[in-house]
Amino acid sequence: MNGLPDLPTKFDVIIVGAGPSGSSAAYLLAKKGFKVLLIERGRGLGDKNLYGGRVYAPPIREVWPQLDKEAPIQRWVTKERISMVQGDKAITFEYKAEKKISFVSYLTQLTQWMSKKAEDAGALFVTEVTIDEIVMKDGKAVGVRSGPDFIEADVVVDAEGVNRLLLERLGIVERLKPDNIALGVKEILKVGANNIESSFNLNPDEGVAWVIMGDITKGLPGGGFIYTNKDSISMGLVLHLKHSIDFIQNGKFDEHVSKLIEEFRFHPYFKPYWKDAIISEYGAHLTIEGATHFMPQKFAYPGLLIVGDAAGLLLSTGYTFRGVDYAVYSGKLAAEAVEFARNNGGFTYENLQIYDKNVRSSFMYNELFKHRGAEQLMNDPILMSKYPSILIKVMEKMFEGEYKQETVYDALMQALKEEKVGPFDLISQAFGLVKSI
Amino acid sequence: MRIIVGMKWVPGTTSVRIDPKTGTLIREGVPSIVNPHDMPAIELALQLKDAYGGEVIALTMSPPPAIRGLEYLIGMGVDRAILVSDRVYAGADTLATSYVLAKAIEKIDKEIGKVDLVVFGQETIDSSTAHIGAQTASWLDWPYIYYAHSAKLIDNNKILVERVLENAIEDWEVDLPAVIATHMKALKPRPVRLLNKIRYKVEKPLTTWTNNELKLDPRCTGLKGSPTIVAKTVDVPEVPRKKVIYTPKDGEDAAKWLIKTLMEDEKASKALIKALKEGGGK
Repeated sequence: MNGLPDLPTKFDVIIVGAGPSGSSAAYLLAKKGFKVLLIERGRGLGDKNLYGGRVYAPPIREVWPQLDKEAPIQRWVTKERISMVQGDKAITFEYKAEKKISFVSYLTQLTQWMSKKAEDAGALFVTEVTIDEIVMKDGKAVGVRSGPDFIEADVVVDAEGVNRLLLERLGIVERLKPDNIALGVKEILKVGANNIESSFNLNPDEGVAWVIMGDITKGLPGGGFIYTNKDSISMGLVLHLKHSIDFIQNGKFDEHVSKLIEEFRFHPYFKPYWKDAIISEYGAHLTIEGATHFMPQKFAYPGLLIVGDAAGLLLSTGYTFRGVDYAVYSGKLAAEAVEFARNNGGFTYENLQIYDKNVRSSFMYNELFKHRGAEQLMNDPILMSKYPSILIKVMEKMFEGEYKQETVYDALMQALKEEKVGPFDLISQAFGLVKSI
Repeated sequence: MRIIVGMKWVPGTTSVRIDPKTGTLIREGVPSIVNPHDMPAIELALQLKDAYGGEVIALTMSPPPAIRGLEYLIGMGVDRAILVSDRVYAGADTLATSYVLAKAIEKIDKEIGKVDLVVFGQETIDSSTAHIGAQTASWLDWPYIYYAHSAKLIDNNKILVERVLENAIEDWEVDLPAVIATHMKALKPRPVRLLNKIRYKVEKPLTTWTNNELKLDPRCTGLKGSPTIVAKTVDVPEVPRKKVIYTPKDGEDAAKWLIKTLMEDEKASKALIKALKEGGGK
């Protein structure tokens, strides 16, 4: 049929996408003796990932107990910073944590590590191949097609990531809408390990995760971030697309995103951290916001399981993003469902539905619904520019009085008046914010 | 037909930066790729195989990371690949490289089967010498045609090669075995195929030859076998830039601002006035 006899054209499981979710599912299934084909569109392993940021370890350790010892971890996050910025002024909170809950990593390196493990465990791993469609027969996924080649499988795991071309073609999800999408732009600035440790006041394997609010995005809904790698700093912006488009259409904003990140890099409050640095990499990536709207109707279809970003399993609360650990965990649930099906009479839709059930009863689903109002609030331009502005004004009145200094109470009342916010509005809005984030 | 196609694994950019302190290339963060100008050569070899049957063997002399490039070629449909890799081949100029390649081709011809055709790309993006095809043909004493756009077999031991030049199209009848180099714009390469990639993983149709297999005199290979002498490299010092960003209202504003800013600078204004005088400007 294919002119290449003696090649396997039938697998137990085909996994499309070798990111954290796909690699985790492939690793667990291969270890259990399933015949697995893991297919990656990128050139290397997980080439399409740009995320260089914070990854939460506990759910990942459930699949990869060797994570802490073996994985390419840049630094463990022991310091959390949140800054509010207005013009050149800034307020920063810092929290020094005790436990090693999250680490900074380049996702390309982390997924390379994972997919290599999957291959070592026996998964057949191919790169540089784009899958054109998940092939359906009588309403059931039966394999994948790439160009002229069809490969058959009992179960197809869709781990294609945020841009779900395959699921769109199947009519399972709609085209990406700006409402659910944020644009991340990032630069990696080489500064040297010693500089990082002295300027952030860190021990050698410790790192900082830093979230920046206020007018660092020039009023666009979104925020800035800074993460410390071993010898470089990742910095960048996340912008909510829907609101950004509105802003541009209403003439409130007409600058290119590259200029925004440039201004962030030259900001007098942050610039000293990367003085004399070389920009070693830059790029952009899409990420999910409003995950609960982004989810497919079901996580399991006949012959098909949807994992990771493709399943909308990414939590964004405005101050934390959790996608990698959710992806790994969903890969684990998918692998368990496949195993369950094999042990219970076959890969029927009935058996595979346990995946859907387990996702819905997992901590991920619970968390996503608990925080579901957060993106909306965090993207509320008034809320996100007004509060930093009030706080900054309070600080200004307290600390920048040349002859007299205001009491905290007077400073707050004056600031509220200047920003035209009543004290009761402040309390009720703050309560709404605290409740959902 | 048995066709050998040459491949070079090169840094994936034409603007590799140079470390100002050491004068060496900064390879960090620059992933390597199959030399893009080799792609038409690979496509031509595969088209000839599609038309006349036989096999296509990819050949490279390189450190082992080039295996990723060979995997890509097998993904496109190349039947097998040979990596020639040994420390004594390191530091080779084009003469020493083509010598090793020619000896590898002779070994293929003797041990795997009669070689009919060798195809190279026009040149590489990292050194642009275009020497390898011609030199390999010389070592083998086989005819050589370059800037090839297409080729077809006209009888069992003859091909017709079409060269497209700036002002002429030439057809050449060439006796086999022969070496040809394709024009960089000759053919669009085919994409990799899923089944070919699976085949690569299952069958691993890849052989590595070191100097244990080729048994070449180390005086003729690598740095020792390279008569090219880099007499001097001129390090062009980086000019400190002012890095001013100006957002003009329109083209006229941009021009005015540029002239004004340049005229304020002593050096720039002199250069500008000189250029205007020489160019006959006002």
